[in-house]
Amino acid sequence: MTPNKILRFDAIERAVHWLVAITFLYAALSGLSMWSRKLYWISAVLGGGVTVRAMHPIIGLMFAAAFTRMYFKWKRQMNLDADDRIWLAKSHKYAINQEAGLPEPGKFNAGQKMMFWMQAAFSALLLLSGLVLWFPEYMPRAARLAAILIHPLAAIGAIGGIIIHIYMGTAAVPGSIKAMVRGVVTPRWAAAHHPKWFREQQR
Amino acid sequence: MPAITVAKLIDTTLCIGCKACEVACQEWNDQEFTLGTFGGTYQTMPELEHNFWNLIKFNEHEQDGALSWLMSKYQCMHCADAGCMAACPAPGAINRLDNGTVDFNHDDCIGCGYCITGCPFDVPRLSPTTKKVYKCSLCSDRTAVGLEPACIKTCPTNCLTFGSRTEMVRKAESRAETLKADGHADAGVYNPAGVGGTNVIYVLKHASAPERYGLPKDPTIPWTVTLWKGPVKWLGTLVMAGGILGAFFHYVRYGPKHEEEPRDDPE
Repeated sequence: MTPNKILRFDAIERAVHWLVAITFLYAALSGLSMWSRKLYWISAVLGGGVTVRAMHPIIGLMFAAAFTRMYFKWKRQMNLDADDRIWLAKSHKYAINQEAGLPEPGKFNAGQKMMFWMQAAFSALLLLSGLVLWFPEYMPRAARLAAILIHPLAAIGAIGGIIIHIYMGTAAVPGSIKAMVRGVVTPRWAAAHHPKWFREQQR
Repeated sequence: MPAITVAKLIDTTLCIGCKACEVACQEWNDQEFTLGTFGGTYQTMPELEHNFWNLIKFNEHEQDGALSWLMSKYQCMHCADAGCMAACPAPGAINRLDNGTVDFNHDDCIGCGYCITGCPFDVPRLSPTTKKVYKCSLCSDRTAVGLEPACIKTCPTNCLTFGSRTEMVRKAESRAETLKADGHADAGVYNPAGVGGTNVIYVLKHASAPERYGLPKDPTIPWTVTLWKGPVKWLGTLVMAGGILGAFFHYVRYGPKHEEEPRDDPE
């Protein structure tokens, strides 16, 4: 590692993250195609309606497995501390790029931590309601009626969160995508976005 | 000529439980009879199956110490406001024919099973082999050429009649009046308004208690289905379109955080 590069995510973290991302993309797009008749055309590029119906739950399980791996890898680092709570209370300042006065974030800022917990909760809801929708013929009617509402609501939350996540990881915070693709960031990036973590790295 | 909405009239007071309609349905639709659960009654099986679309329910009713059967022919009701159609995501999989029939097209069915959940009568069934959903088609392949459905054709007691919906409703009401005049004060017509009326209409002796016949009292499209196909769609559209547009305009207004240093940054 040359001194002007800092390792942010190791190869396992990156691979698991992208497994989560790819399975999420297929599950989200195929799910949207079965969500509304107006979006049914999406299924045409994912193998057709019958294939999408068969594959969506299987890819969904792969997503759940990959997410579980990611969850246990990161959950300790995602615990919110006192600084994070102050950060969250002032997060509207962060949103308009006025970060002065916000507590310095560690490896993950409080926004990223909240994203992690929200996606974990939505994923759990999606998994449970998805299992019910997978085999409607064996499921009690009350469970199906609940799942038919919980599954899209959790999906809307997850997709909404992912839109923010993708925007933050690409356009909004330049240099972030490299951290997840090649695993490294520059010292300048680390000092600017995660100063507390940067100082820990220097020790 | 405008299409006439057709309906099936089931006068439960005339049903003798001969099951000829069950056989006719199996024969016309070319379905093998597979022995399912035996429920300990005269009823062929407890519930409809993916390959058994028409079931005579032998509802046992006890009144004044005497047992009687309240026969009811159970099949797709061809609702005017159909829960299966509301729930179905695949265009063309469930079609409303000109004569009012709710017809499944298995070429376009993807087997998601949402119609099973959307149906207030618990009628559609998923086939374990084809992974598609099946139910009574009102013999759309017969009605298309001016024939009556197979069950109607075979009924030996005139319990079943078929014709224009207006005519069937009139006939049902007139029959209910006759029954009332004969001393069955609770006689009436089952044509539930909660699903906009059905194209399968019953004459019942106990019209105020259709559940005695295995029929739901006030069937409607389940509220979670209505919510899912209404406000939840709007919420989803708002979140997704709003999210993408919001992110774009955020970038336009505020731009990125700490532009990455250029490649030849001397630092």
